[in-house]
Amino acid sequence: MTLKGPRLWFDPERLRREFDAMTIVQTLVGYSTLILFLVLPLFTMMVEAFVYQGRASLHWFWSIATSPEYWSLAPLGGRMFEVRNNIMILWGIDHGILLNSLMVAFNVAVYCSFIGVFLAFIMGRYNFPGKRVFQVLLLVPLLATPFVNAYVIGKLFNPRNGLINFILVDVLHLLPWKLDIDGLFGITLAQTLAYYPIVYMNVVASLNSIDPSLEEMAENLGARGFRLFRTVTFPLILPGLAAGAIMTFIFSLEDLGAPIGFVGARANPLARKVVSYQIYSSFAEALTGGISPRTAALAVIILFITAASYITVRWYVNRRSYAMLSKGGRWSPRVRTPSPQVRGLVVIFLVLLVVLASMPQIGTVILATTDWATSGALPTKFTWTYMSTLYTNTLVYHAVLNSLIYSVAAVAVMILVGSSIAYLVGKRNIPGRGVLDTLATIPVAIPGISLAIGFFLFFSANFRGTLLDPLADPALLLICAYVVRRLPFTTRSVSAGLQQVDKSLEESSMNLGANRPTTFFRIVLPLIVGHIVSGAILSFVYSMSEVSASVTLGALREDRVPITFFISQIVYGAAATGSISIGAALCVLLMAVQITAMAVSNLILKQRTSFLGV
Amino acid sequence: MVRVRLDHVTKRFGEVLAADDVSLTIEDGEFFTFLGPSGCGKTTTMRMVAGLEFPNEGKVYYDDVDVTQLPSFERNTGMVFQNYALWPHMTVRENVAYGLNVRKVPKKNINSKVEDILELVHLGGMGERFPNQLSGGQQQRVALARVLVINPDILLLDEPLSNLDAKLRVEMREEIKEIQRELGITTIYVTHDQEEAMAVSDRIAIQNHGRIMQVGTPREVYDSPQNLFIATFIGKGVLLEGVLEARGDLMDCRVGDLNLKGVTTSDEALADGEKVACVLRPESFNVMEPDEPSNVLEGAVEWSAFVGPITEVKVRIGDTSLLINAPSDREYPPGSTLRVYIPRDKTLVLPWMQLV
Repeated sequence: MTLKGPRLWFDPERLRREFDAMTIVQTLVGYSTLILFLVLPLFTMMVEAFVYQGRASLHWFWSIATSPEYWSLAPLGGRMFEVRNNIMILWGIDHGILLNSLMVAFNVAVYCSFIGVFLAFIMGRYNFPGKRVFQVLLLVPLLATPFVNAYVIGKLFNPRNGLINFILVDVLHLLPWKLDIDGLFGITLAQTLAYYPIVYMNVVASLNSIDPSLEEMAENLGARGFRLFRTVTFPLILPGLAAGAIMTFIFSLEDLGAPIGFVGARANPLARKVVSYQIYSSFAEALTGGISPRTAALAVIILFITAASYITVRWYVNRRSYAMLSKGGRWSPRVRTPSPQVRGLVVIFLVLLVVLASMPQIGTVILATTDWATSGALPTKFTWTYMSTLYTNTLVYHAVLNSLIYSVAAVAVMILVGSSIAYLVGKRNIPGRGVLDTLATIPVAIPGISLAIGFFLFFSANFRGTLLDPLADPALLLICAYVVRRLPFTTRSVSAGLQQVDKSLEESSMNLGANRPTTFFRIVLPLIVGHIVSGAILSFVYSMSEVSASVTLGALREDRVPITFFISQIVYGAAATGSISIGAALCVLLMAVQITAMAVSNLILKQRTSFLGV
Repeated sequence: MVRVRLDHVTKRFGEVLAADDVSLTIEDGEFFTFLGPSGCGKTTTMRMVAGLEFPNEGKVYYDDVDVTQLPSFERNTGMVFQNYALWPHMTVRENVAYGLNVRKVPKKNINSKVEDILELVHLGGMGERFPNQLSGGQQQRVALARVLVINPDILLLDEPLSNLDAKLRVEMREEIKEIQRELGITTIYVTHDQEEAMAVSDRIAIQNHGRIMQVGTPREVYDSPQNLFIATFIGKGVLLEGVLEARGDLMDCRVGDLNLKGVTTSDEALADGEKVACVLRPESFNVMEPDEPSNVLEGAVEWSAFVGPITEVKVRIGDTSLLINAPSDREYPPGSTLRVYIPRDKTLVLPWMQLV
């Protein structure tokens, strides 16, 4: 075979053919959204961080790296496994802000991996009573109860009047001392409980995609038990595990909910000593003096860490994705029914885990509907006072309304931008689609707090006095932040739908005389409308519960605050509007929205809710 | 109806040549088939006619109009896809009416045209069904009706029968041929099944590694293969490797210790001493000495299989085995000696070629 003639990268005839009016519009919509609301803000933040006294410099990074406040191998404080006055103190050891964040995130990823893999195996390989119920209950921790979840854990493990201490020590006498969980260890615990379902779902998906004959073949060749797991099963689920673990690492690094929750619950200064909280607190200066370059540098550092680890894992997962389901033949899943004793143990273990992991959600509901916030270890009476504030208290009501408006607007934009990008990336062969794909996927790995810093720096400097000026009115910027941060959910869902639309369905339409727009609207769109709607629902839910941009940009004008900012203020104790129970009531509302959305998505649209992964 | 002309058309996918300098003309009203092994580029060549793929080099003409860069929707061709590509969200009627709708044909004309075409493909009364409620054969008919209803200038059929079972396949190909004859529409057909190609085509183009090896009527490609690839791809011949000893009207070949005289159907010049292949087809053999001058071979019967009209006999000759179609009126016990004759004009001598 010989190659003849010139090979042009940009064949003019091809460009003319590919770029019809619709493609041009879709490309412009996709690129302009991502450049204006992702690339430029992050770029501005980097410029800020890399400039010192007017010159390019690593000054700010150096000052962070050399300051023990951020990075200290010698302990700066904190307590771990210390028993004092019959109280076991579990706070974690302070090694400086940056190192603390990395250690917390690493530990969370490791703990989540163990729990996730273990659960995935139990659920994927054993039959036991109530399995279908557990399948649902194990996902309860995914229900968003921002800030309040950590507050509840802090409250449960409070040495004074903590419910768990009350049960374990005072009632059951199981432990010789009360537990005091707080600070860095508290953050780790809260995040592990909240994020293990991410690993679990990714591993279950990997496990279900393993052709049983692969393991049967290994058994046939003599591999059994742990050897089988180590040599065949584990390597096959490793991509799913890596994908899930890296998401928990990223989520932990950028999480604001747990630190703020613990600060609110116990005011332990150790809970403030993580990067996300430091960036958050420096936003308070933004109102008056702007954001310091050191804060920008800190935001750049965690951005680099999350983005680099995400890209590495994505590369690895793509390289290691095996198409494993063979055609034809017997397809009997390797599900076993163990002995009654083992089944009993499995159920007891799952019940304990579900109760422990769902504590934040259960606690939130109890806080919202009883006097638990003030009553001590146990609630004493039911009350509708706090739930009713949702429609009686104008401040609460306005926050809910704001969030609804922002989320609906953001979802409308996401549908347009997300389906344009998914279509260009999945179905069209245009130059630059790889870049578009990366830009649309990467927000998953960008800490919201870093994006918020970028938004503030970029728009306050270049759009002063316009609708995009955060200091004048953050509403539009919040919508745009939601769009960028939650876009991957819509795009991913639409992409999944498009994968089921064979190329020939479009080609036959064009062959019969329909141009590209006609083909798109009459063939493609009707076939993927279910996926668009379920992607939009998911994006809506995650916009309603968005934290990082909401508690930073949202703080810039009082009448523009969204729900999550309002909750954070209550938990933080800075709002005069009410007790923690009102925040819990708002979380109950968020959970209700989420459950409704998932139910609609699963039952009516018959879509499996897409999960968080690489 | 149009005549289609490909002029030095080349299409690359990365390093792979899907169409390599293809030049040929498909006449108005002709049933033309691209035949070749999978991956030979036949579908790509057809898709360039349809405007679904665009050549890197060369031109595509409809009559004398250059359509090389024209998008598919401006070409008025009708393509039936291998998987039928029926739109699952539309009924049979909506699928069939689609091409008329995008052409803005008045509503009442659409209805009658759709009814007529569904009758033609024997799907009257099925209009309200959805594609997933139809059998494979019925889906195939819908796909055909959907393109016929727009009166395409060219009918393009991409392995249309490959998803049907054997019996239905024969029925459908007769039906397709029938409809094509009735409408007199220029038709391009892509298949890897040589029997199917021979049965329906006016002319066949045999393609391998992107190159067109030969274009001709079924008889031409069968009787006069241009090269060894075609001789072995069409029909089930046995090839014997030999050396050319003398040329003339008859070619003298030495195959092991045998000497065979045969004819060449290749345009390529052969030289004495050149490595050649003698292609012998099972159906060319006789067990009785024929009138025409023949090569005589003798060997032991390895096995025989009665398959109805003929008996297949495997005969060991030297260090090769030949498959021979022998008459079924006698037995061929294994181990017995059999003398077979093959007419010299059916002993094909072709230049040697590496077959991948």
